[in-house]
Amino acid sequence: MADPLPYPGAPRWVKVSGIAVVVVATLVIVLIHVGGGHHMPPAGGHGDHAVPENGH
Amino acid sequence: MNMAPSLRKFVLTLHVISSVSLLGAIAGFLALAVAGLTSQNDQMVRAAYLAMELIARFVIVALALASLLTGLIQSVGTPWGLFRHYWVLVKFLLTVFATIILLVKMELISQAARLSAETTLPRADLSAAGIQLLVHAAGGLLVLLVPAVLSIYKPSGMTRYGWRKQYEQPGLSQSILKRHA
Repeated sequence: MADPLPYPGAPRWVKVSGIAVVVVATLVIVLIHVGGGHHMPPAGGHGDHAVPENGH
Repeated sequence: MNMAPSLRKFVLTLHVISSVSLLGAIAGFLALAVAGLTSQNDQMVRAAYLAMELIARFVIVALALASLLTGLIQSVGTPWGLFRHYWVLVKFLLTVFATIILLVKMELISQAARLSAETTLPRADLSAAGIQLLVHAAGGLLVLLVPAVLSIYKPSGMTRYGWRKQYEQPGLSQSILKRHA
């Protein structure tokens, strides 16, 4: 068996992508917390702001 | 484990078809999400959300699972492996991530369809759900474009595991592995 060469490490594109993912994930988490999270509409029910059909 | 060339080509064909179709289906879903969110026509809004649920449940989920499964078979049945090359690993992780988000958001998609079927169209609730669906569809499309690009360019770089394996398994195609090291 050939004598293994030392591992050269992760390529640059992996490192750059990893940093980008961490930055974007952090931004998303911050934005969700600042915005108060998602507001899910009530399941199967009407919300407070329901407007009549064809209402103008 | 290496597949026979004919089987390998067949699985690759299925993988390409399911992956590219998935992108197209999500693009269609995105168009419906925009229509549901922006249209002033109640019938259009109802039709958009009902169609979105059908497309998501019977097309997008099926294609996502098919893409994931054929990709897994393709990776373990060829010298590329699943954990040997960064581009394969990144593709796998992104597809798994997108599929999990899709399955989690199926409830929201069904909820939007239920709301759109009510006698009185709850515009505010539908808008809240529609914005989320629009963001997730656009995000999903962007995330799934990355595996498509990676598959074509196959950027170099082996994982530590792949690096070790290429010396442990002399039967592997050294030319392929070194070219992409």
